Amino acid sequence: MSVRVRQIQALARLAVLELYRRKDLIVVFVLSAVVLLPLALLTPFGVAGAGRYMNEMALLLVWLFSLVIGLGVSARLFPPEFESRTIYPMLAKPVARGTILVGKYLGALAASVSALTVFYLAYGFMVGARQGVWFPAVFVQAFILHIGFLVVVTALGLAGSLLLTPSANLTMCGLSVIGMLFFGQRLPSLAAAQPLPGRMVLTLIHWFGPHVEFFDLRQRVVHEWPAIGWGVCGVVLVYAAGYAAVCLAVASLAFRNKRF
Amino acid sequence: MDAVRLDEVSKAFGPMHAVNGLSLTIRQGEILGFLGTNGAGKTTTIKMMLGFFRPDAGSLSVLGGDPCEPATRKKIGYMPETAYYYPYLNVRELLSLYGGLCGMSKPEIREASERLIERVGLADAGSRLLRHYSKGMLQRAGIAQALLHDPDLLILDEPFTGLDPLARIQFRDLILELRQRGKTVFFSSHELSEAELICDRVAILKQGSLVWCGAVSDVAGDGQQNLERIFLKMLGGADEKSARQSLASDSEVKS
Repeated sequence: MSVRVRQIQALARLAVLELYRRKDLIVVFVLSAVVLLPLALLTPFGVAGAGRYMNEMALLLVWLFSLVIGLGVSARLFPPEFESRTIYPMLAKPVARGTILVGKYLGALAASVSALTVFYLAYGFMVGARQGVWFPAVFVQAFILHIGFLVVVTALGLAGSLLLTPSANLTMCGLSVIGMLFFGQRLPSLAAAQPLPGRMVLTLIHWFGPHVEFFDLRQRVVHEWPAIGWGVCGVVLVYAAGYAAVCLAVASLAFRNKRF
Repeated sequence: MDAVRLDEVSKAFGPMHAVNGLSLTIRQGEILGFLGTNGAGKTTTIKMMLGFFRPDAGSLSVLGGDPCEPATRKKIGYMPETAYYYPYLNVRELLSLYGGLCGMSKPEIREASERLIERVGLADAGSRLLRHYSKGMLQRAGIAQALLHDPDLLILDEPFTGLDPLARIQFRDLILELRQRGKTVFFSSHELSEAELICDRVAILKQGSLVWCGAVSDVAGDGQQNLERIFLKMLGGADEKSARQSLASDSEVKS
């Protein structure tokens, strides 16, 4: 195993261990169980078809929790290191700053994906038990694209943590991700309807904002629509990797020039 | 070969000159104490020696290389002044992290960790999370992580802070043992008595400049805390000039 792989592995393990030991995740797990279990057991208003409404609610919560975890973990990768000065012994080791960045990013991603897996398994079993449909292809695609969403969100949170204060980072990232999730698709038509300054701002957001709506297959899963083409899935994942690479390049620049 | 060579090194942060034309060499296998008041530039010098940032002027080499290069840092062990480590790890996990960062294999890390945990007296607390450690225990964990990859040069920032008397003696013995094994030790401290006891040479820094550097054996020995006397004269101001002149004959003097 190469030295760089060992270094990345050590850093990633640190992020995962910290997430689980901090017990924040346990709270989210308990919360999701408290919310998802009744959804699995209830038949709302005595109408069998209303189960879709429950599924939609459950998936929305899964998205919300994954955003909280993804952003929460990535935004907390560096600020506590600077605050408690644990960054000094880390930088004194024979490890390049780029490797530290990549290791921490992969750790945050691994931690977030592990939590996401638990949520999706819970959701899959809940729907399977109620509707008798076990993990259809569109559900698998939704999970894979949701990982793509986390690839983008954790990179965004990490870059922000090196450029902004922790609270400003969480606010900016949270607003941009939620904003894009709900309005990302409509940005071009919204921009077209605006006078020039507004149009320019919306067009810039359209080009540079994180298009997290690409990863959202909730409607397809809830309404049991057919799966999308795997090629489309692949293109969206390439977009996620590209966006994350740009965020990491910006983070790398900030980290290299940071004075300790 | 000198372990560390600083030649007219300067570093400023905005209008503040943290280090000003500092020239200093640390010989291989010696223990050098780096003394000075708060804000004298000790930590800035250490950070440059660790490659955290480059000097604005002058040149600096550590073990014949550039400390900004990871290959050079592989031979350096560093213990920071404030020993706060990851509160959600135990000492074994902490050492596993730092061992991984040094590129050590799992068996190497395991072997070195167990030996060092035993050596620094943390064997009984090995599985306890670091957030439950006292300051002295964190200092012990700090020295263990600094020694993990068997470095040739050890840089310690205020290593005696927070240690109880017994731990101080153990720590002192450990530093002397390292010198016996041919390691170079450089430490900054406010503890003049500790410096006098274990250092081969001492360097005194004032406002970023070296005001005195000499062998402890030249000034110690009459039981009157001579290092303290020199330190006060060098930093005091009034008697500084005459003190420098009187010491110039038997010691290396730089200002």
